[in-house]
Amino acid sequence: MRRFLRIYLPFSKAGMQEMMAYRFNFIFHLIGEMLSCFVMYFVWLAVFESSDSSTFMGFSMVDMTVYLFISFMASFLTYSDGAINIGEEIRDGSIVMRMIKPVNFDMYLLFHELGSRFVSIFIVLVPMSVGVELYKFFVTGSVMFSLPNFALFSVSIIIAYLVSFYFNVCYGFLAFFLKNLWGSSVLKDAIISFLSGAKIPLAFMPPALAAVLTVLPFASLSYTPVMLYMGIYDAPQIIWSLSLQLFWLVFFWGLSKLIWRLAMKRLCVQGG
Amino acid sequence: MIYVENIRKEFKKTIKQPGLLGSVKSLFNPKTEKVVAVDDISFHVPKGEILGFIGPNGAGKSTVIKMLTGILTPSAGLCTINGKNPQKNRKSYVKEIGVVFGQRTQLWWDLPLCETYAVLKEIYEVEDSAYKRKMDLLNEVLDLQDFIKSPVRTLSLGQRMRADIAASLLHSPKVLFLDEPTIGLDVVVKDNIRRAIAKINEEEQTTVILTTHDLSDIELLSKRIVMIDKGKNVFDGTVDELKKNYGQMRELHFELAGDSSLESLAYKEKFGFSDDDINIKREGVKATVRFNSDIVPVGDMLSYTLSGVHISDISVKDADIEEIIRRLYKKEVSADA
Repeated sequence: MRRFLRIYLPFSKAGMQEMMAYRFNFIFHLIGEMLSCFVMYFVWLAVFESSDSSTFMGFSMVDMTVYLFISFMASFLTYSDGAINIGEEIRDGSIVMRMIKPVNFDMYLLFHELGSRFVSIFIVLVPMSVGVELYKFFVTGSVMFSLPNFALFSVSIIIAYLVSFYFNVCYGFLAFFLKNLWGSSVLKDAIISFLSGAKIPLAFMPPALAAVLTVLPFASLSYTPVMLYMGIYDAPQIIWSLSLQLFWLVFFWGLSKLIWRLAMKRLCVQGG
Repeated sequence: MIYVENIRKEFKKTIKQPGLLGSVKSLFNPKTEKVVAVDDISFHVPKGEILGFIGPNGAGKSTVIKMLTGILTPSAGLCTINGKNPQKNRKSYVKEIGVVFGQRTQLWWDLPLCETYAVLKEIYEVEDSAYKRKMDLLNEVLDLQDFIKSPVRTLSLGQRMRADIAASLLHSPKVLFLDEPTIGLDVVVKDNIRRAIAKINEEEQTTVILTTHDLSDIELLSKRIVMIDKGKNVFDGTVDELKKNYGQMRELHFELAGDSSLESLAYKEKFGFSDDDINIKREGVKATVRFNSDIVPVGDMLSYTLSGVHISDISVKDADIEEIIRRLYKKEVSADA
C-alpha cells in the first residue's frame, strides 16, 4: 500500500499543480455552473410562487433550494473529465506516451484527477455547505446539518465520484473504437444531468420512471448522496442505495478493465 | 537481448467514399481494406549494441518500434526483449526500457521540468542516491541545468528533446528506443544528443535502437544497420558491409584545363555503365563524375580520364552512406513499379 501511494501520489501532486496553473479556467467553470444553478433556483421560485400550495410533490421551496444547491455541489464534486482526456489522447496518438510507463492506466488518471478534486473540495464543498446551512438557518431557524448524515453523504459522494470516474473511463475508451468523442460527450453530459436527478429531483418523475431511474447508475452519481445529505432516506433505503452505488462501482470498474483489454488488442495508433 | 522473429502487422483501414453520400454510406456499411504495415521482419540485437533502424517515410519503422515497446500487438510473429514479451505483462516490461518518440513528449506540459523527473523517480522506484548520480550525469551530458526549473511548455524544441531523452534514461533502462530523436534540431543540439547517447551506451551497456532520417546519426553512433522498406527487411548488416555490398560509388572530382570537353570521354560507351552506375555533372571547368567502382576500378577510371582530357587538378572521394541509401531506396521503388 505504501509503495502504491509512493508511486501514485506524485500524480496527485502534479494534478494539483496543473490545476493551479489553470486556476482561471477552474474559476470560470465554477462561476458558469453557479449561474446555471441560480437560474434553476429562480425557475423553481416562480413555480412555487405561482402555485397555491406551499409544497410541491412533498418539497417546500426551502427543501427545493437546498436540493438544488446540494445537488449542484454533488455533481460538481463527482464530475470527472479523465474520459475527455483519453479520447483526446487516442485521437492524437499521445496515448502511447502513457503506455510506455510502468503504471496502471486507471490509477494514473484517478490520482491525477484526485489532485484537482482535492482543491475543489476546499473551494466548493466547504463554502457551499456552509452557505446552504446559513440559508436554511435564516429562513427556518434550524440547521439540517447532522454528523451522521454528513458522514453518510461523504461516503456516498466518494463512491459516486468513483462510479463517475469509471463510467467516464469506459466512455473514454469508446474513442478506441469511435476515434472521436466530442459530439457524443455533449449528449452524454446532457443525459446524465437529467437522469441523475441533478436538474430535477427524481421524486418528481412519474413513479414508474422514477423507480427505473433510481436503479440506473445515474442516480448513484448525484441523487443518492443528496438524499443522504438531506436525511430523506430511512435505514433500509440507505443500505439499499449505498449497495447499489457499490454495485455500479464494481460494474464500471470491471467493464473498464474489459474494454481496456479489448482495446489493447485492436489499438491502432493514429498519426506517427 | 532483442529477438524479433517474423513479425507482421496488418491494419484495417476504412475507405471513405467521396462526397456526402459516401460519408453516409461508410457510416452504415464501412468498407475496409487491409494494409500490411510490417511484413515478416526478423532481426536480433545483442546487448550493448546501437542499432540504426532506417527506411524511407512510411516504411513501417515506427510500427516496428511500437510493437517492440508493447504499444501495438503484432498480427503474427514474436518479439522477445530481455527475455520478456512486450505484449504480456506490460508494466514489468516497460520498467526496463526507455522510449523517446521525437514527435511526442513524455514531459508534463504545464509543470517545471524537474517535477516530471520527480514523478518519474517515484514511478520507476529509483533510489535517492542513484537518482542524484543519474541526474548529475544527465546534467553533464545534456546540459539540463539552464532550464530544469522552467515549465516544459516554455522549452525550445532542442531543450525539450534533451529533457525527453534524459527522462527516458532516468531509470537506467536496459534498452533504449529512440524514434527520430534528432528530428528538427540544429547541428549543435544534434551533436549534444549523439554524444549523450554514445556516452550512456558506453557507460551502462544500454542497448539502443535508433530510427532516424539523419544518416549522420547512424554513421556516428551505430555500427549496424537494419533497413526496411514497404514493411520488408531490405538490409541487415554493418555500415561497412552496406558500403561494400551496395555500390562502391566513388566520386572523381577534377578541373578541366584549356578547352577540353567532357563529351570526348564518353565513359558510358567505353566501359558500358548503366544510367544507375554513372552520373556526370559539370559546372564551368569543374566536373564531378560519380561511378560504380565495382564495374570499373578506380585506377582504370583515373588513367582513362587523364589520357582523355587535360586536367589541372584531380581527386577521388568515397561516396557517403547517404548516397548509397538514396540508391537503395530508389532501387526498391523502381523494382516495385
